[in-house]
Formats: sequence, C-alpha cells, structure tokens
Amino acid sequence: MNWIFARTSLLEQGLNASWKRNKIIAENIANIDTPGFKASRVEFESILADALEGMVIQGKKTRKGHMDIGPGSISSIQPVVRQDTKTTMRMDGNNVDIDREMVELAENIIRFNAQAQLISKELGRIRTAVQEGRR
Amino acid sequence: MSFLRTMSISGSGLTAQRVRMDTIAQNIANASVTRTANGTPYRRRVVVFETRDDAPDFAGLLNKEYENVKGVEVTAILEDPSPFKRVYDPEHPDADPEGYVNLPNVDTTKEIIDMMSATRAYEANVTAFNASKSMALKALEIGR
Repeated sequence: MNWIFARTSLLEQGLNASWKRNKIIAENIANIDTPGFKASRVEFESILADALEGMVIQGKKTRKGHMDIGPGSISSIQPVVRQDTKTTMRMDGNNVDIDREMVELAENIIRFNAQAQLISKELGRIRTAVQEGRR
Repeated sequence: MSFLRTMSISGSGLTAQRVRMDTIAQNIANASVTRTANGTPYRRRVVVFETRDDAPDFAGLLNKEYENVKGVEVTAILEDPSPFKRVYDPEHPDADPEGYVNLPNVDTTKEIIDMMSATRAYEANVTAFNASKSMALKALEIGR
C-alpha cells in the first residue's frame, strides 16, 4: 500500500527540509544585530545528491543484525543544521551576511512552492488512477 | 505548531528593532537636554540584543518534538558612559563657574545611521515573516 505514496513521501522530506531552512534563515535575520551570534545553515539537497550519486560509503548488509553504515535508505535522510562558528563579519563577532540570507530566503520560497506543487500534482495523478481516469 | 513558531522568530526580531528605534528616537529628542531627574545632562541610551532561547513548553516536552527556537530580545537598555560634550556658553543657566555647559553625549549623526540600520533590519524581518507566511499558506493548498 505504501508504494503509492513513495514519491509524495520523498517530496515531503524535501518540504520539511525547506521549512527547516526557512526557520533557520528567520533566526539568522532576527539576530542580525546580536553581538556574537553565529549564523546556521541547513544542508539537505547536497546530502541527498551525494546519497543518490553513490558518493558516500555504504555498508552492505549481508545479515539481519548488521548495523547501518552510511546514510542508509534515501527515506531516512534528514536535514542537518550546521553552524558556522569560524568566521566573523563585523567587530561584534556576528557573522550574519544579510545579502546571502535574503537570497537564500527567496530561493527557499521558490523551492518550497515547487515541492508543494509537485506533491499536489502527484496526488492528482494518484486520484486519477484511483478513479480509473474518470473525472 | 512548527510554522507558527517560525513566524514568532521574525516577530521577536521586529519587536527588538522597534525597541531599538524607540531608544534612538529618545536619544535624538533628548539631544540637548541639560537637566534630568538626577541632575546630570541626558545620557545616550544603548539597547543590548541577546539571542532568546525559548524554553520548551510542557506539550513540547511531552511530544519530544521540541525544537529550539532562537529569536532575539532586548535584555537591557544601558547608558552610554562616554563623557559629555563640553561647550563654552557662559550665558547658559546650567553653565559651570568656568562658563562651560555639559551637553548630552548624543551624536545625532550616529543616531541617524543607527536608525537607518534599524529600519533595514526591521524590513528584513518583515520579508522573512512574509516568506514564512506565504510558505505556510502554500502548504495549506497541497492537494487542492
């Protein structure tokens, strides 16, 4: 039964990652004038791309009790929040780059909208199949 | 509700920048006040921003879905300890025996620049808020 929604659940992961990124960007922007604040980034697409292209070491399971080596299945990939603590933009130790944040914010809305639309379309296709092509 | 929390982050940024703006307005308005309640000229006020770590609420702890939300808050409004401007004006009622008047340590140029910075930061928070809002509304349309 679950295979029907295999694609939507993958898109849902992307949607969750985009939402998390939006939250992190909102935090970075809110703290633009907080001394000593360090900006964070959300990484998801790059991790997913690495997993899809086989760029990571993946342990083969030959027995039931073997543990996961590497990211495991695609569906288990989670967005990762990384904080950039090394750099400093200003005298007060803050490293929020407002231009970068605004660009990423704009990108992220478009990405989120695209993913939401893809989910809608996919659900529409499932609906068409369920109704045997009738409207 | 995760998407409402995201909007509260931008909301905290808006509040903080507004407090900063109020403080700047107060500094500019009092730029030539030589008598305050404690007898000294007006001292410039500076806001202190700190990252606000929201403590998890009860439901959040129960659900184990708690995510730390890093908003911003104004933790203090402090006085600028830099020395007063001294201007020679023997006719002034607050002049000392040498004829000098202590004027507030407010630099209007600095305040105006601070004000512009606060305005821009406020706008950036509004943009982030609108982004969260449009994304949340878009998510409600899924499946329509």
